Amino acid sequence: MGNLRLIRQDRRFRPQQQTLGIIFIIPMVAFLLVFVVYPVLYNIFLSFTNARLIKKDYSFINFDNYKKIFTDLRFLTYVKNTVVWTVASVIGQLSLGLMIALMINRKSSGTGLRSFLLIPYVVPAVAIALVTKWVMNGDYGIISYWFQTLGLIEHRQSPLAIPGSAMAVLVIVNVWRSYPFPMLIYWATLKGIDKELYEAASVDGAGTIQSFLHITLPHLRDTTIVLVVLRIVWTATYFDLPWLITGGGPAGSTTHLPIMIYQASFGTFQTGYASSLSVILGLSLFLCVVFYVRKTISNDSGR
Amino acid sequence: MKKGILYSIQKNFWYLIFVLMVMVLVGFPLFWMASSSFKPSVELFKSPPLILPETPTLHWYMSAFSDSTVIRYFINSLIVSLSTMGINIVIATLGAYSLARFSYRGRRFITAAILSAYCIPPIMLMIPLYRIIAGMGMNSSYAGVVLGHLTLTLPFCVWILIPFFRKVPKEMEEAAIIDGASAFNVFWCIILPVCIPGILSAGIMVFILSWNEYLLSSVLVMSDTMKTLTVGLANYISSTEIDWGTIMALGTATTLPIVIMFSAIQKYFVEGLTAGAVKG
Repeated sequence: MGNLRLIRQDRRFRPQQQTLGIIFIIPMVAFLLVFVVYPVLYNIFLSFTNARLIKKDYSFINFDNYKKIFTDLRFLTYVKNTVVWTVASVIGQLSLGLMIALMINRKSSGTGLRSFLLIPYVVPAVAIALVTKWVMNGDYGIISYWFQTLGLIEHRQSPLAIPGSAMAVLVIVNVWRSYPFPMLIYWATLKGIDKELYEAASVDGAGTIQSFLHITLPHLRDTTIVLVVLRIVWTATYFDLPWLITGGGPAGSTTHLPIMIYQASFGTFQTGYASSLSVILGLSLFLCVVFYVRKTISNDSGR
Repeated sequence: MKKGILYSIQKNFWYLIFVLMVMVLVGFPLFWMASSSFKPSVELFKSPPLILPETPTLHWYMSAFSDSTVIRYFINSLIVSLSTMGINIVIATLGAYSLARFSYRGRRFITAAILSAYCIPPIMLMIPLYRIIAGMGMNSSYAGVVLGHLTLTLPFCVWILIPFFRKVPKEMEEAAIIDGASAFNVFWCIILPVCIPGILSAGIMVFILSWNEYLLSSVLVMSDTMKTLTVGLANYISSTEIDWGTIMALGTATTLPIVIMFSAIQKYFVEGLTAGAVKG
């Protein structure tokens, strides 16, 4: 009797329940359609026009913006900068993140240490940029002072004023800011590895290094692939930190595509041209996004 | 006891050195910002630089906060971040609950869309949002920035909320249904109260993201009196005469509340992010 009642109740509830689910999803879907999907399409549309920032009217110019980009010599340099910035930052943050994850994965380390190590994740980019400019100040900055004393740079010079080292500084600061995310994901993966595997290995006479190579590393493979893809997307499009620290200088040596887009849009007011730049950046990362989404959704089959 | 500690230090010597090194590297920029903000002018520009202020002073904080524009920036940031957080909590809670607990056509597609939207960076949305928001005349109010921040934070918020709703045992819902509760009542009276900590911490994470955001904040507001703190701070550095003491004081004052808020919720943040992230 009881079971019968349960089934009947359940049946009666279902259609209504689904309706509520659909009602609940509507605000979110509506918002995304209007303020994310539409803007992305609008951006693609603008990339085929000669729209300017201030003027309202514009006309179609087909692929002229794209032709202009690919004949612009600076574009190639900025693509190269973007690649250097992205590859170095991603390798840096993943290596540091993994090292620290291995460090906090030990039994003896408490959650206090982990909390402390997560802090850079939430420090405002503006604050980091200001400190960086302060410690790199040629006259009074402590890092500049150390470098000057060691004879690495000239008296009163700042590492931010030299093309090669300005990019290095940006990458180091970005690694400092962004390692907590990989650290957290690696740490969660490490925690998920079956402890018995290590015990079995040590019974078989495997040392720490052997266990690491044959148990830990293979388990981290999938995580690493997904992290690399996600961090490439985030880093290649990251604007705030490089812009606030160097503004793309000296001599364009730290200008990457996001800064180029910003300058085209709000520096020279060529909205159409800037849009086509961002379409190119978006297309080159599109496959990464598709891969990341497919991988994450299929890993978590319920979603 | 003492022998035990000594022994464990000896055994873990290299480990402890590594931990110490990492902690110094992580802490140094923040320590230096705070330390500089308490140094009087003479010490600030001393060579070689002093590690700690010799005669600590609150001078920079006093002068920064006696400036009414600075107070304005703080209030603006607070208004923008709180609005973003409030709207976000409502939309994301409903959306995440729907995605976590219901089954209807298109649910998987919407989940994939949310995750894709999470990958769309501000630099891609900057140009179209600028035109849309300026076209609607919203760049003379807070609404433009709030909308901009919502595009960045909503997908993230939904994504980390889904696991919180998943975790609620199905039996709790079923029991209520048998007692004759409507679907809405199940959500309102059973699910919501259990998930409040998760929802609030996701909301605080949104607050933090909104508080820290620079690009859209600088682009989507025209009037100077409505600029947020990050934009105001960034303008200090581009002015010709850089007032380092005030900048370090303001940097510290901007960062400290965020770090405190984050410390309070980081347990939930870790839970939500590692559940929503990759499983190797």
